[in-house]
Amino acid sequence: MVRAYSQEYTYKHPWERVTCASWRKFTDPENKRTLSHILEVDTLNRKVDPESGKLYTTRAITIHAPGPWFIRKIVGQDICHCVESTVVDAWSQSMQLTTRNISLQKFIEVVEKIRYDPHPDNPNGWTICRQETSIRIKPLSALASMAEKVEQRCAERFVQNSVKGREVMERICKYLEAESSGLTI
Amino acid sequence: MGIKRESKRSASATSPCADLRAVYHNCFNRWYSEKFVKGQLDEEPCVSEWQKYRACLSEHLEDKKLKRFLEEETIVHSSMKAETKCGIVEQYAGSELHSFAPFQSQSAK
Repeated sequence: MVRAYSQEYTYKHPWERVTCASWRKFTDPENKRTLSHILEVDTLNRKVDPESGKLYTTRAITIHAPGPWFIRKIVGQDICHCVESTVVDAWSQSMQLTTRNISLQKFIEVVEKIRYDPHPDNPNGWTICRQETSIRIKPLSALASMAEKVEQRCAERFVQNSVKGREVMERICKYLEAESSGLTI
Repeated sequence: MGIKRESKRSASATSPCADLRAVYHNCFNRWYSEKFVKGQLDEEPCVSEWQKYRACLSEHLEDKKLKRFLEEETIVHSSMKAETKCGIVEQYAGSELHSFAPFQSQSAK
């Protein structure tokens, strides 16, 4: 009933830069075209805890997720609100994001977890990104009979979007790298 | 971008805040890269930008569930509490890649 998959990716950029890029991924206007499924991103809450070196942030992410017509007919909308909670630990250098849908919950539950940590092989220069996504159609929902298909489709979409997300991340990292070397010259 | 209501697209609900949002996010991004990652986190970042943006959001955010996140200062506190209690931030930021069973806790709430 649950489709879960995970991915790993290494950015050849330091953790500081990669996590900066992660914040900018959805909010820099130049990425709008590539990440066209992201309609709005708003920061709802944030908290800095100087004691523990942590930053907590909650963002609302509005996604355009059109399915095939028969799904649209059942679900009745193709906009989905998600909430992304992030904890960044400046001391230990870790960033953890958890995103889950808060609309369409009676049909489907999607949870995406992403972690950015310094890469064990090159902690000062590279960053490892681990991503886990789980998709679950609610057993008693109108979609239950086609759960497998919907989950499959959903998973494919997620993979496509995460490839796009990586491209954007790489681009921002390059840009930040150029910017920082420009400043130090 | 007319006055016409787009077919129930609550997506555009917060677009009146787009400018304030951009100002805040720019400020935040700068703070993050210049201060936070270097471990300088004694000051609350971008306070006035945040207040203005947040006020706009609370006026325009339509989705009730999202609004709750905005209003509840406790989102953050409860996750911090969860952390001090059991060593992990389970509820909202559950980061445990190995114990990946996020569904029970939510429906129990």
